[in-house]
Amino acid sequence: MYEPKIIAFLCTWCSYTGADTAGIARLKSPANLRTVRVPCSGRVSPELIMRTFDQGADGVLVLGCHIGECHYDSGNHRTAKRLPVLKTLLTFAGLEEERLRLDWVSASEGEHFSRIVTDFVDTVRALGPVRWRVDRREFNPSYQRAPALQSSPHASFSNATLEQQTLQLRQTAQELLDSGQVACVIGYEQDWRGRTRPTFVYHPEDTSRLVWNQDCTHNLTGYLNHKLHQLPQAGDGQTNNRVAVVVKACDSRAIHVQLAEKSYTRDQVYIIGMACQGIQEKARYDGKVHTQQEPVLQQRCIQCTDRNPVISDILIGDLKKEAPISTGLSNRSLTLTQLEAKTPSERMDFWLSQFDRCIRCYACRQACPMCDCPTCLYERDDSLWVGAAHGWDGVGLNEKRTFHLGRAYHLAGRCIGCDECERACPMGIPISYLNQMLSQEMERSYNHRAGVTIIPTPLVTILSGEEGVQ
Amino acid sequence: MSSRMIPGTTPTVISKNSLIQWLDQIASQMRLIAPRDIDGNILYRQVGNAAEITWDYTRPVLSIKDVFFPPTEVLFTIEKIGNEVNIRETSPEGEQVLFGVRPCDAHGLQALDALFIATQPIDPYYMRRRENTTLVGLACPEMGATCFCTTMGGAPDDPRHMDLMLHAIEDVYLLEVVTEKGAFLLERYPLVIEPGIQPNTYIRPEITTERLAYPALDSWPEQFNQLYWEEIAERCLSCRACAYVCPTCRCFDVRDEIQSEQGDNKVYERIRCWDSCAGEAYRRIAGGHNPRAAKGERLRNRFYCKYYYFPQQYGPAACTGCGRCIDVCPAGVDITEILHFMAGIAMVEKQAQVEVGRI
Amino acid sequence: MTNDSLNPMEPCLGRVVSLKELGNEIKLFSVELLNGGSQNFLDYQPGQFAFLSAFGIGEAPFGIASTTERGYMLDFAVQRLGSVTTGLHELGDGDIIGVRGPLGNCFPMESFKGKNLIVLGGGIGGAPLRPVIQTVLDHRQDYGDLTILWAARHPSLLVFTDEYDEWRSAPDTQLHLTVDNPDDRWDHHTGLITDLLERVSPSPENAVTITCGPPIMIHFVNKLLVEKLGFASDQNYVTLEARMHCGVGKCGRCNLGDKLVCVDGPVFTMQEVGGLLESFL
Repeated sequence: MYEPKIIAFLCTWCSYTGADTAGIARLKSPANLRTVRVPCSGRVSPELIMRTFDQGADGVLVLGCHIGECHYDSGNHRTAKRLPVLKTLLTFAGLEEERLRLDWVSASEGEHFSRIVTDFVDTVRALGPVRWRVDRREFNPSYQRAPALQSSPHASFSNATLEQQTLQLRQTAQELLDSGQVACVIGYEQDWRGRTRPTFVYHPEDTSRLVWNQDCTHNLTGYLNHKLHQLPQAGDGQTNNRVAVVVKACDSRAIHVQLAEKSYTRDQVYIIGMACQGIQEKARYDGKVHTQQEPVLQQRCIQCTDRNPVISDILIGDLKKEAPISTGLSNRSLTLTQLEAKTPSERMDFWLSQFDRCIRCYACRQACPMCDCPTCLYERDDSLWVGAAHGWDGVGLNEKRTFHLGRAYHLAGRCIGCDECERACPMGIPISYLNQMLSQEMERSYNHRAGVTIIPTPLVTILSGEEGVQ
Repeated sequence: MSSRMIPGTTPTVISKNSLIQWLDQIASQMRLIAPRDIDGNILYRQVGNAAEITWDYTRPVLSIKDVFFPPTEVLFTIEKIGNEVNIRETSPEGEQVLFGVRPCDAHGLQALDALFIATQPIDPYYMRRRENTTLVGLACPEMGATCFCTTMGGAPDDPRHMDLMLHAIEDVYLLEVVTEKGAFLLERYPLVIEPGIQPNTYIRPEITTERLAYPALDSWPEQFNQLYWEEIAERCLSCRACAYVCPTCRCFDVRDEIQSEQGDNKVYERIRCWDSCAGEAYRRIAGGHNPRAAKGERLRNRFYCKYYYFPQQYGPAACTGCGRCIDVCPAGVDITEILHFMAGIAMVEKQAQVEVGRI
Repeated sequence: MTNDSLNPMEPCLGRVVSLKELGNEIKLFSVELLNGGSQNFLDYQPGQFAFLSAFGIGEAPFGIASTTERGYMLDFAVQRLGSVTTGLHELGDGDIIGVRGPLGNCFPMESFKGKNLIVLGGGIGGAPLRPVIQTVLDHRQDYGDLTILWAARHPSLLVFTDEYDEWRSAPDTQLHLTVDNPDDRWDHHTGLITDLLERVSPSPENAVTITCGPPIMIHFVNKLLVEKLGFASDQNYVTLEARMHCGVGKCGRCNLGDKLVCVDGPVFTMQEVGGLLESFL
């Protein structure tokens, strides 16, 4: 008979002793359990759990102290918040949700411990061997010819509103630089090919470079932190290290998150908010100029409900009264709901075939305004969480999946949905499904939408009154 | 084909049908790698038969580099039993045919050959794959929007660096035998030549991009300390997309990874995997010192490597003008702009041609 | 085995024969090569380096701290800083490591003959200079005066302290020590190596300097030598440290302008790399 391998992380202050209590009382516990004693259930990071599954565990059990009884006051609050979210993520990636369980056992609850363990082992045994770890020798993806994404050739659209906004943007930038209110304006320019890209303007006479159009896809807030640190520090009486940044509605939410996470202070940035008519789908640049009347908009814009930025020092254009651009439509061949409705095994196939293409160029991470760790956890020389391998046909697939899931998890409650990661990906991996799914989950569990106000993700705070333990 | 085909002789005309039959025959006998549509991305991957090949592509997302220099390669298997260590070199893969190679990618192999084979010591892994692989080229129907192969001395129908070269002419193909290796492949897998196919007039693919300016070699050292590098690097995100899609970028990292561990019996793999000079920690040494901490320095190094260091160190330039880096850069860094800067010529702005929307 | 079939990435096996604490987190590994690996190391030269593998972690380059003349054992001084060095520090006597080399160029000891040598070592940077010192001491009559300036941040980070007596007792040889942060028992110079160098003030006449240490030290030592002490930059030899992964000019990691530290170096004159060193700092 199949016997599952179960790894149990037990808090040393409660459930580890609880296991002892069960033993002393001679209560029967299944022999499948391999226990890891941890100082607190809060120590059991999502990376640790993913690594455990990567190494071949059939089920992972995390047992901590009851809420209110944590030796470190609020360590188990973090566990209580993190693990359900991680579980949603792993389930979305194709793991059966029953394989990860979190529960609370105090030192005296030997019987409770025994019951949980027996039940968990029975559940996992019934599920059969886990399908998670990928052996490159056995990996055999079924490649599909995908229906081509609806995308337009590169085009330059214009209308009276955009032209008016551009002129106003240039004037604003010029005034800001002229008066010395800011040292730099981060905005958009067109390159010699006519493509729009980020630009950094330091002199009033250069502000004529700035443009505003429906190709302004980049989220420029990702440059803020670096730029603010690079400029000479204020306080020497001469220089001003304030930076102005051009933001769309979605980008502006990133500023809220960055402020909540104290990346910089509000007075260090001057926010030039642009009322947005939506950005066109990743352009297929063919070197020609097309004159279409209507752009094909990006998925995020189709779903967007904010036309005006949520925070700005000046608002250029005003579309507050306009209805959302569109509702419910998708220019994807597969919607998130359809993906969620698939079986775990189908979702696993889907994600493995997507991640198999990843070349670990880290464009997704680098383009993300929230990914600002000095050295990424998944790239440290001494990283214990993930190896360096990457390739295809299963080579380094565990590593690549861990990176993507880990990154998505680190963005839970922080991702504002600008989809820069997906746009930056040269391999066409639909990364934003992960972020969208977690955004949904954060909204469902915590009524939290990232960046709508200046509050950090619920995953880094302690449980509040309304937030129940799942 | 009855008589042996000699490299350099007049091209033969073949039908698409017989080309497909030929590819099917090869795929049934050995590894055939060809452009393949994978979830909407065209990539060079193994195909089981000719029907899996995509014919409608300008250039695949990734170059053919990874066929010879894979993203991750196991160099050795290291077995450690107690204090006994046994190092086993990874055995080479078998013979393979790479079909649908674009001239820019084959040109890229020239740079990699100069590094891995022509410069001592020879890299045995790269060389084995190179020896085991026959390149069948397919001329580009036209130059892509970001292509600048002609600037780098190539052409969309350049047969050099290939073993066999095909040019599409309407429904038929013109086959050029370029090397002995190509002739040998045809000897073993003969092509059926249907009688009656006449060579139409062959029209060279249109060279749509005028040659860009190319800076003189000695202009590079002079410009090293230009502020320009900091300026163009401002938008750079320090990702590695440009390096990983590049047909010549070849920086790598070497480390050991645990394959299995049972008590005192351990199996490690020494792997080498792609790396890029754009990464923040690329040059950081163990003590923490990072000689290229600023992203401007790192980006500068990339371009200097391509056009100055690589030619100094190994001979050819490490750029073939494929333009992939221009397409994938999420922030709009454009290598041709840099070439123009170095050549001291201002870029002619295309914006003037935009019919609408140009303010 | 023919030369063509040699795999430049393949390490040979070596046994750690003795391990000595050189300083705080610094150990001296004496390695005996196994299975005929010593054939590769028959005539390695002062200044060359080798890759050491901690199996299961990876490999990293280290300057060879021994000479062929003093025995068949290879010495490496390893300071615990990163993952590979940590892996090496966890090994004990008799453990097996990988050794790949000898790699890189060497000090032109032949052309140093008859000249006065000023050797400047900073911290663990002293390791690749030890073979230079040993070669000079073993052929004392072939070289002019030997002045050794030995520096570290702290006395516990000074390397080869037990060899100072040998160095001091050699004819025409001086040893000057300095540390940035002295402890109670320190009775030598305190301060940066540049202070010490200025005090010692060697003459550039018929002399060469050999420096190894952190990049910042190399920069300022060279600046002082050229600007104040009258040395020409081609009199100043350095051996450089860089992150590298192959050691044979392939991985592209260690470039310094159009030079590769692994094959064109690690020994350079400041004339060769002076202009490039700015970016190296």
